[in-house]
Amino acid sequence: MLTIVRFLWASFAIWTAYALHPSEAGVVDWHKALLGVPLTRPDFHRTTGAHGATRSVVLTATSNNVIGAVHPENGTVAWRYLFEDRDPVVGYKAYNDRLATLSGPGGATFRILDVNSGHLLHELHLHSADSGRLFEPVNLGVAIAFDDSDKSKDTFVLTNGHTLRRINGKSGDIVWGWTSPDQTSLVVYSKVVTTSDAIYLIGLAKSFASYTVHVSAISPDNGELLSDADVPSSIINGPQGLIVVSHEGTRGKSVRLAWLEQARIHSVALTPQLKDKPTIKKGSAYLQVHDIGLQEKGLFVATKEDGSGRVIRFSEDGALKVFWEFADSSPKYTESTYAGGLDKDGWPYIARVYWSHVFRQASAHVLAPHLAEGKGLVTGFTFPFETQKHGIIANVAVDAANPEEFRVLSRLVLTTTTGAVQLWQQDQHQWTREESLADIRVAEMVELPEPQLVASQVGIEETESFGARLRRQLADAQDFPQYAINFAKRFATGSYASASSSIAPASNDTSPLSRDTFGFRKIIVAATSHGKVFGIDSANGEIIWSRVFGLGWAAEVGGRIFPLKIFTTRTVSDGDTPQVVIVGQRKADNSLVDTVAFHIDALTGEDVSGTSIGQDILQGQDVIAGALVEAYLFQDGPTKYVVLLDEYLQVHLFPDTPENADSFHKVAPSIHLPLRTGTAGSHRLGGHKVSPEKEFTGRHIAYPIWTASLPPNEDVRSIVTRPHEPVASLGKVLGNRTTLYKYLNPGVVVVLTSTSTPSGPATSCGVYVIDGTKGTILYHANLPAAGGVCDVKAAFTENWLVYHYYDDGSANADQAKSYRMVSLEFYEGSGVDDKTSSSDLSAYSNDTTRISVYEQSYVFPRGISTITTTSTKFGITVKDILVAGNNHQVQSFPRRFLDPRRPNRKPTAEEQEEWLIQYDPLLPDDPKRVLSHRYQVARIRKIITSPALLESTSLVFGYGVDLFFTRVAPSKTFDVLNENFNKAQLVLTVAGLALAIVITKPMVRRKRLRERWYAS
Amino acid sequence: MECVVGLNVIGSKEKVRNCIDACGTPLLTSSVTSTVDITMMIPLLILTLVSLLCSSLAFDLKGRVVWNEICPGIGDLGQAKVVLDNGNLYGSVTRNGQFVIPEVPSGTYILSVVAHDHAFERLRIDVLDTDTLPEVRPYVPGTPLSPPSPVTLPYPITLIPRARYDYYTPQESFNLVGMFQNPMMLLMLGTGVLMLAMPYIMKNMDPEVLQEFKERQAKITDIQSSIQNGDLKTGLSAMMGGEEKTSPAPAPKPQASAARNRGKNKRR
Repeated sequence: MLTIVRFLWASFAIWTAYALHPSEAGVVDWHKALLGVPLTRPDFHRTTGAHGATRSVVLTATSNNVIGAVHPENGTVAWRYLFEDRDPVVGYKAYNDRLATLSGPGGATFRILDVNSGHLLHELHLHSADSGRLFEPVNLGVAIAFDDSDKSKDTFVLTNGHTLRRINGKSGDIVWGWTSPDQTSLVVYSKVVTTSDAIYLIGLAKSFASYTVHVSAISPDNGELLSDADVPSSIINGPQGLIVVSHEGTRGKSVRLAWLEQARIHSVALTPQLKDKPTIKKGSAYLQVHDIGLQEKGLFVATKEDGSGRVIRFSEDGALKVFWEFADSSPKYTESTYAGGLDKDGWPYIARVYWSHVFRQASAHVLAPHLAEGKGLVTGFTFPFETQKHGIIANVAVDAANPEEFRVLSRLVLTTTTGAVQLWQQDQHQWTREESLADIRVAEMVELPEPQLVASQVGIEETESFGARLRRQLADAQDFPQYAINFAKRFATGSYASASSSIAPASNDTSPLSRDTFGFRKIIVAATSHGKVFGIDSANGEIIWSRVFGLGWAAEVGGRIFPLKIFTTRTVSDGDTPQVVIVGQRKADNSLVDTVAFHIDALTGEDVSGTSIGQDILQGQDVIAGALVEAYLFQDGPTKYVVLLDEYLQVHLFPDTPENADSFHKVAPSIHLPLRTGTAGSHRLGGHKVSPEKEFTGRHIAYPIWTASLPPNEDVRSIVTRPHEPVASLGKVLGNRTTLYKYLNPGVVVVLTSTSTPSGPATSCGVYVIDGTKGTILYHANLPAAGGVCDVKAAFTENWLVYHYYDDGSANADQAKSYRMVSLEFYEGSGVDDKTSSSDLSAYSNDTTRISVYEQSYVFPRGISTITTTSTKFGITVKDILVAGNNHQVQSFPRRFLDPRRPNRKPTAEEQEEWLIQYDPLLPDDPKRVLSHRYQVARIRKIITSPALLESTSLVFGYGVDLFFTRVAPSKTFDVLNENFNKAQLVLTVAGLALAIVITKPMVRRKRLRERWYAS
Repeated sequence: MECVVGLNVIGSKEKVRNCIDACGTPLLTSSVTSTVDITMMIPLLILTLVSLLCSSLAFDLKGRVVWNEICPGIGDLGQAKVVLDNGNLYGSVTRNGQFVIPEVPSGTYILSVVAHDHAFERLRIDVLDTDTLPEVRPYVPGTPLSPPSPVTLPYPITLIPRARYDYYTPQESFNLVGMFQNPMMLLMLGTGVLMLAMPYIMKNMDPEVLQEFKERQAKITDIQSSIQNGDLKTGLSAMMGGEEKTSPAPAPKPQASAARNRGKNKRR
């Protein structure tokens, strides 16, 4: 009875939507919110609350076009604001409780955010993106200044290098605007300074061989030009060397402009009439001036030619004076980094941070100018910065407190060249954020080995004596009662490994990495473009190991490594620790490009090739002296190796062993490679074969055998290949017992193209399905290019292709504008029961093009950034489509709704048997299928899927700005006991039935006996 | 062409600036500083010149999100934007719910809200070449754009959060009372009880009633089997004729039934 009910329930449950239970959120999945690698120096920003309590955040603008705030106490994200890709942040400034940002070309859009919550208060469009002037660097020609003279909270915004606007702080409207009358001249303003009398715009005018300083004073009330002057000067290296120091004196705010000219500091006082003449500061020669963020406190740093730094202060009497000298610089140290910060009471502090090559430690000196009766107090300490793990210190921000006299406590925020952000409280490390994970280029999930069982006495049975054996067995047996009790307990109430429980190891677990019962735990090897590779535990997102890529010979000139491909060359099933190969392109600063391969043990991050020493920098192997065209993983029995093609289509192998060369030599004649070649804008598609014998260069070479006959203005954007996955069934049995055989030609590729007029925007986009062995076009669709951009996303698995695009309705006046998702299936032959064995067919057979296509188009609810399918171990489970939507969600769309064979009428009984439902153009947008649920998974660029040991479950890892991991079961977890399976109940039922038998058995026996006696 | 400044309904000054910025010609930019003067003085000739140069209208589409109990504020909504079509034109929602989509050229657009946790309706916006305000209409996704809906909504646009996405399904937990409340379960329990109690009921029954019951049961089985065999006619005739058969010969039946009964008991 119970089983019947259970069966009924189960059968209902299979067709209800798969969704997350509230208790599973955060257990089966994890999400890491990231900001991106800081572009500039982060800032400590302190705000004072209503009751005088202060709170501070670390503000930063990042390479992912995000402005974010981090809690300095624990390194978690307080808030972040994501800017669109075409709206890059060009400037930001925080003042009290607000943060003003400028973004877009020339500062086209102005926004004000709340500095504590990140809420948008005002958004104002200042000019169109087309009329924005592009400067190099981007922050040139834009500036923000707050009106600190009164409580109006007004902001002065300089955009496009020549337009100044005053923006009302309450309403966000423009109070007045002023545009430089002669924008055609070469004056580009780059700084704004506010005083109660005038707003000073400071810019540079290009003159012969150098720049001249140009200053304009503007009335803060109505935006009228008060005066305009060229300051006699000649500056060689751009506006970075311009420093405006101000001082709040008894007679109001006095401002002085300083710059470096011919190794001397020149300066001029700024007054509304601009009458002052520049003065030259006598004394030492300087190499550089540094803006340390304390210009409003009248402080900046200038470095001398010998490397020592001097703090220069704008003093009461209006002169620039050397206040302090950070001496003690020598070649034993790196160049110092200077930063300024304010404490709770607004006193300035200056920090100097450098790395000592001798002590292999970083040192910091913090100067408090106001202490020691105004003479200045320096506190110094060293801290163990791990340079082999985090690279070189790029930027520093300082925050300090002065709890008692002669004691300064400081915290430093460091950003490094590998994208780490660290907070040090004096010499104590507080936290590290690995922000380079927001820029993962390639990632792969690698299976973990099984847990190792202790089997100490295996193999000693033969040699040990009887007595010893008896003793050992008795010793083993003394645990038996415990075991028996445990067994009984487990049998009665026992919990089994559940498919929805956490697989994260306990925090104090020190056992080696091993997989869990169902293989949900894997290691994610992710390589970033900031020269670091990470091993991430898929159970909880913790970083298990990380290595810094070595630059090889380019270490002397500098360079960067961009990972392109990752391959698992050895898995656990091959019998040893798993290994991965990362193929990257090294761009040296002297413009030479090489292809490098890194061979790593996936469990520890150790170098397999053995060229690196210990935990030092990971050294790669130069495979190709030049660019890479394509790389593939080849499998020949148990051996796997990477095949790389260079620009001359020569074949390189990695690892380049004689066995691999032999193996490749054997398979070379049967290889067909569809390749995308050519330059940007005119990529072509061609089929290639590999020469059976080595050429005179000692390498196999790929030669073209066909070229896709696409129009000359059609650019091949990308090639989508089928993932290497098992196909469980070769056909689909229909309701009427006929079979459609799947078209599984292994050479088929999907090609996405864009057609454009010369140097113009794209006019149309194309999707082709091409037989990669001979170039036959099997399917072609022309799609509209909305906004002149081709943004078609495609996923291809087995015989099923799904692509997504935006239809702007231009093709047909009646047609709706919407995102579309087209689902296609390819079957062999001309219809049912027409089998051509496409998966084993010779490439030269005519049957490879004899296919039938089912196609259906659906209206999709939103734009997406990536699309993929789930993948399972044997391919039996139905495949769902996973997409990352533009609303920062990862959502799954079931195959049932995307089935191209959905009938356009009420389904017949036969179709119902196949679970087909009537065609509806609108795809349901079911929030229950949002895998990322309440997580804001920002800008996922790619989703990778990997099978678990359970056939029903697929592991999903998405990366972009954020990292997100979860597991999905498109057909529910049919291969494990249901979560709700109640073992106690089952045991009780069985026990109850047994009891009933015991009771009724004598009754029945008695009754039978009686019947025999009294039978007629 | 929309640079006809004097006729503009909202923010003529702003519009001039938009237009000028969009065209970006030096002739026009010199006039940015004194827009008021332009509106008064520049002759129509120059305006037509402007319209020739600046061929597309730039209209700032304004509106606001109305906070309600589904979404009480920006903290709940998070970073959200209002987009036209595929998001090339957009405006962000500010703390007081307002948004501005700048420089929208004339045309027909679908307006949607990109928010993480909230559902909004979609609207069809027609920005016109003439000086009138844009037309706002409700839009159902997946429907053709023409003919447009006869219903028009007021401008500035008002967007109301319609629902908060619910991502979770409640955990189905085992519930004994709930299990027995299931009608299927009740039915099964009832049958079970009846099955167990049947021999006792039969034993205590009056022989005549018992016989009648037996006959009826036999007939039902007959009809059932005939229906199952697809032989409706026999089933029907059995239904009709059964009654006639039973009435004339009630006597010999008890024995047979008793025998059958006995057999049954034996089998037990």
